[in-house]
Order: sequence, then C-alpha cells, then structure tokens
Amino acid sequence: MNRRVYEETQPTLVVGLRTTASGGNRSRSRVRVSAIWEALLVAIGSLRSNKLRTSLTLIGIVVGVAAVIAVVTIIQGLDNKVATTFSSQGSTVFTVSKRPQIIRSREEFIKFNKRKDVTHEDAEAITRLCTSCWRVGVAANVLQTVKHGDQKFENVRVRGVTPQTMFDIDGVSVAQGRIWTDAEGTSGRQICVVGPDVLTNVFGGASADRVLGEEISVGGRPFVILGVLEPLGSIFGNSRDNVVYIPYSTYQKSYGARESIVVFIQVPTAAQLETAEDQVRTIMSNRRGKIFSADDDPGFSVETQDVFLELYGKATSNIYLVTIGVAAISLIVGGIVVMNIMLVSVTERTKEIGIRKALGARRNDILTQFLIEAVAVTMIGGAIGVGTGFGLAYIISALIGFPLLINVLSAVLGVGVSSVVGIISGLWPAWRAAKLDPIEALRSE
Amino acid sequence: MSNATLVTPPPSEVVAAPVSLNGRQEPTALISMRDLWKTYEMGSEKVHALHGVSFDVKKGEYIAITGPSGSGKSTLMNLIGCLDTPSQGEYWLNGKNVSEMDDDELARIRNQEVGFVFQTFNLLARATALHNVELPLIYGGVSSTKRHEMAKEALAAVDLADRMTHRPNELSGGQRQRVAIARALVNHPSILLADEPTGALDTHTSMEIMDLFERLHEEGNTVVLVTHEPDIAARAHRVISIRDGQIEKDHQLR
Repeated sequence: MNRRVYEETQPTLVVGLRTTASGGNRSRSRVRVSAIWEALLVAIGSLRSNKLRTSLTLIGIVVGVAAVIAVVTIIQGLDNKVATTFSSQGSTVFTVSKRPQIIRSREEFIKFNKRKDVTHEDAEAITRLCTSCWRVGVAANVLQTVKHGDQKFENVRVRGVTPQTMFDIDGVSVAQGRIWTDAEGTSGRQICVVGPDVLTNVFGGASADRVLGEEISVGGRPFVILGVLEPLGSIFGNSRDNVVYIPYSTYQKSYGARESIVVFIQVPTAAQLETAEDQVRTIMSNRRGKIFSADDDPGFSVETQDVFLELYGKATSNIYLVTIGVAAISLIVGGIVVMNIMLVSVTERTKEIGIRKALGARRNDILTQFLIEAVAVTMIGGAIGVGTGFGLAYIISALIGFPLLINVLSAVLGVGVSSVVGIISGLWPAWRAAKLDPIEALRSE
Repeated sequence: MSNATLVTPPPSEVVAAPVSLNGRQEPTALISMRDLWKTYEMGSEKVHALHGVSFDVKKGEYIAITGPSGSGKSTLMNLIGCLDTPSQGEYWLNGKNVSEMDDDELARIRNQEVGFVFQTFNLLARATALHNVELPLIYGGVSSTKRHEMAKEALAAVDLADRMTHRPNELSGGQRQRVAIARALVNHPSILLADEPTGALDTHTSMEIMDLFERLHEEGNTVVLVTHEPDIAARAHRVISIRDGQIEKDHQLR
C-alpha cells in the first residue's frame, strides 16, 4: 500500500530533476511568502514557549512606549487646553486696544500708556465703516467682590459688554434664563448674566433656574440675575466661569467711564481676518492720524488671540522636546532588552538554525525569522504600551483637569516606533543567526 | 511543469546530462567529484582533511562511505551534502557545479537536490511530524495545500501515516528516524544522504531502518550512506573507504 503510494510520486521526482534549473526561479516569489509565514509561526511558538522571558521583554517595551505615549498625550491635552482657552473666541476674532496684550518692557509700557484711550466712539466708527467686519463689540473688565446674603466671593471678573453679540464673540452662551434686551442694555439698569461659578460660590451650588431673578451684590451694587452661562471649564487652576456679564452702560456708570475699552471684532471666516484687520487699521489711523503723525507708533494695537499661543509655543516647545526625549530613553533601554533576549534566543536555537539551513533555509530566511520574532515582541509591546500610555494619560488628565486627546497618529507612531526598535535591536542577533555555519550549527547541542 | 510532457524513464536511464564538463566528466554521473581538496587552517598550520578525492556516483546507486573517525569522511559528507564547498577541485551534482556556488545557491541545492538523514534525527522538537516533513517544502516555496499533500504522502511512504500529529518526543527512536527520512524524501531530491542513520538506534530498529533504505533504493532513489559500521556498510551495493583524506578502496559489492 505505502509502496504503491510512493511509486506514484516517482514521476514527479524525475521531472523535478529535469526542470529544477528553470523551475527554480518560478517559485522564488512563493518562497518568500511561505518562509515568512513559517517565520511568523516559529516566532509565535517561540514567544509562547518562553512565557516568562517574553513577558519580561514585553515590559521593557511597554514601559518605554507607555511613557512616550502618556507624555505626548498629556502635552497635547495641555496644548489643546491652552489653545482653546486663549482662543475660545476662535481665529475669527481680533481686538483693537490701547495696549497690546503682551508688554515686554517698562519702556514699552510707558510708550503704550501715552496712547490715547480707545473709546466707544472708536468702536462706533469701526461698526459703521468696516465692511468686512461681521460683529463688533466692546468689553471692559474689572475684578469685584460678589455677595449674596452672608456668602461672598472675591476677585470675580466683571465684564461690561455691548452690544449683546459680545456674548457670541466671547464664545459663551446662556444655559438658563436670558440676556438683556437692547432697551435694558442701554437703560443703565443693574442687571447681569453670571457664570456657573457664581452659583457655586455664593449660592451654595443652587441650580441655575433657582437663582434667576435673585439679587446679588457686585462691588457693593445690587444686580438682578437674568441668566446663567454654560460652563467653560478652567485653565491652570483658574476658572473661566468665575464671571459676571453686565451691560457696558451699567459698567460705565458703576465702575468708571475713564478706562480704555477693548473693541472686539469678529469676521465670518478666518479668510477675511486680514482684510478686516487692514480696514480697521485704516479707520483707526484716520482717527488717530492727526495726533500721532510724527511717531512710528500707530497709537493703537490690532491683535488676535494668537499672540498668546505664539508666546506659549515658544516657551514650552523646548521643554516638551526634553520631556519626550527623556521618555524615549526608556524605549531605547527596552530595545537593548530585546536585543539581549534575541541574542539568547539565537544561541539557544543554534541547532535549530543548523537544521533549517541543512534543509534549504537561506540566510535571508533565517534573518527574517529572527527579525520577525523581534518585531513581533516589540509590536505587541508597542500596542500594549500605547494602551497603557493612554490609560496613564487618562488618569493624569482626569486628575489635573485636561481634556484627553486620543491621537490615532501617536498610537500608530507608538507601534511603528517600537517596531523600528524591534528591527534595529533584532538586526544584529538575526544577522548572527543568519551567518552561522550550518556544519557548526548542526554540531552544537 | 505539465503532466502532458511527463515521460518516466527507467531508473537507470540518464536524466540530466551536463553538456560539457571540460570534457572530463562521464555524462551518466549524478555526482561527479574531481580531485577534491579540503584544507583547514589551524593557526599557522594547514590541515588537509581531503586531498585529491575523485569519484562518480550514478543515479540509482546505493553507496556506503566508510572510514575511521578523522579519516575525512565527515568532511566528504558535508561536501556531498553541499553544506560546505571544497578548497580545490570540482563537484558536480546533477549537472550543476556546486564547487563555485555561494551560500544562497548552496541552500537552494540542499533544498532541491539533497535529502539529509542525520544520526540524531535533527527534528524540530516543537513541531509535529507533519510540520517537520513540510519544512523543506516551506523553504522550497511549495503552496500549503500541496505541502500538506506531499508531506502526508512522504509520511505514508515510511509507514507513519498515523503519527502525523505527534511531536518527536512522542515518537520512538525508529519512528523519529523514519520522520527524518520522510523529510529527506519529501522534496524528491537527487540523493538521499544519510550520516550514521542507525548510530542512535538499537540493533532491531537499525535493521528496520536499513530495510527502509533498501526499499527506497529499489524504488529508484540514489542513496549515499556514511557509516563506520562494517555490517551497515555491507548492505550497500558499493563501498568507498576513506583513510587520511583519500580514497583507500572503491569496491563494488553487487
């Protein structure tokens, strides 16, 4: 029976002898696929049969990748937090003010202080003349103490705004109640819209609907609450919800008309920003021109919120690089662990390498086998590391109060970089395995 | 290769005849060794493991290479098996000049032309019998369905059809060696090269394995046995004795 079966295979043998030379090339592409598949199976088998070793290797990579992912994710969260905070008005808003937002020296301060105040008339001129401007509003801020009954809270930002579109420009919206009407806004009545922190701080956390119509004291003056704002959250421990919006006319009456105001201008899309800025500059130059003709200084500052972001970016980018670099060192250590383990693996399997070579495995086949093993470990480690890193970032973000930004790119990068670490650290051991002399390798035990 | 053009010559008929081998080689030889030298450098000293070995093997022969340890028969076996290249001389295997090949070409020849059987079996411990037998096919680029089929066939040919899923440690010594023989046969090589194939087996199992080799020879395979045991060598049809790196005696028994 068996003999018959084998005899049937004989013709193939003879043909095989005849055509080996031409048949050899044809199967070459297939060689790679089957050998790589074999390498993958061998790698998995080897990783599974050395569980302790595999898990120790994995930990090396997991720690490295997790550290990098966590650091990058937290930094991205921080960046995002800063960016949204400084530009909650978005990139479509710019301001006209007496002084720029960032003053670098005492000389600058003195120079800017000599400028003429930006007034309500300036704002009206811009509203009237700037065709590219969509929304124009003015705002002025002052810190005051807010009281209700026996509860009081200091350093609440009181923001006098007009017209009501200033709420839209600020990017805030009313959660409960309403904004004042035009008539109310110009009447000088003591009315306000409060941020949610006011509820927490002076109403003992009462719900929004219960405080509507209540009276609070702002800087010693009574104000009736018309509405409560949606929460914006906090940045660096400073709440952005600790605010009381009042009509600008009331603000002037209550806290002084002598302060320079800031004009806020919004354009429909970011593309129109530059045109609108140019128009506003022209309008303002005309209004200032006679007084400041001799000076280089235009007498006003036109800015977007980006100036903060630029400053922030400059200040933090180097710190970030160093932090990521330090985290990356642990990844390098992980790579060394993998290299060490792979060298052990090669030494341990010298005999197996000899057998495979005797049976026709080429250098590349052996090289691939060990490279795949190294990359398999680091890829799995990388994947676990990405998960762990995001987990860490989640916990830390939750503790500090940052948003958690799961970035697909950093996940792909984490696995990718760890695979590259696998290739680099696996290359030398794999090359050593590949160049083993089959006779020597077969002789080893 | 289509089956339409398939013509089955009798085992004795010449199949792959080299066109011209510097006019020296007989066209009938499957293996042709011409003045082979193998020299090792031990420090400053040169050691000649082989000096000037020449012989031919025809397709379908059953040859034993014998000699005491240190005679150079292992070196010769490594050369025949294309695990090594000679320092000098020519080695033609199935029409190809092996003596000038690089590592990858040698690997290819080992894969296609040589079926190894080792004294200590050299099976992969973690792999099943079937997978062990498939190994040469994997490196030969045979598709997985074809591979399975061929490996099963080869295992059946050595009466191990019912042990395919066993791992080496679940098999007896004789069974392991038969798996190794199936592995050697699965790629339909030009030569079956066995290095002390019974060295790790008891007498009874040794005889079984030798019977198997005899059967494989009768089926048309070219068998080259390397052994130091006279009674094993005596079962071959031709015995080449090596001593001090040279052929001492080339003796046709049958």
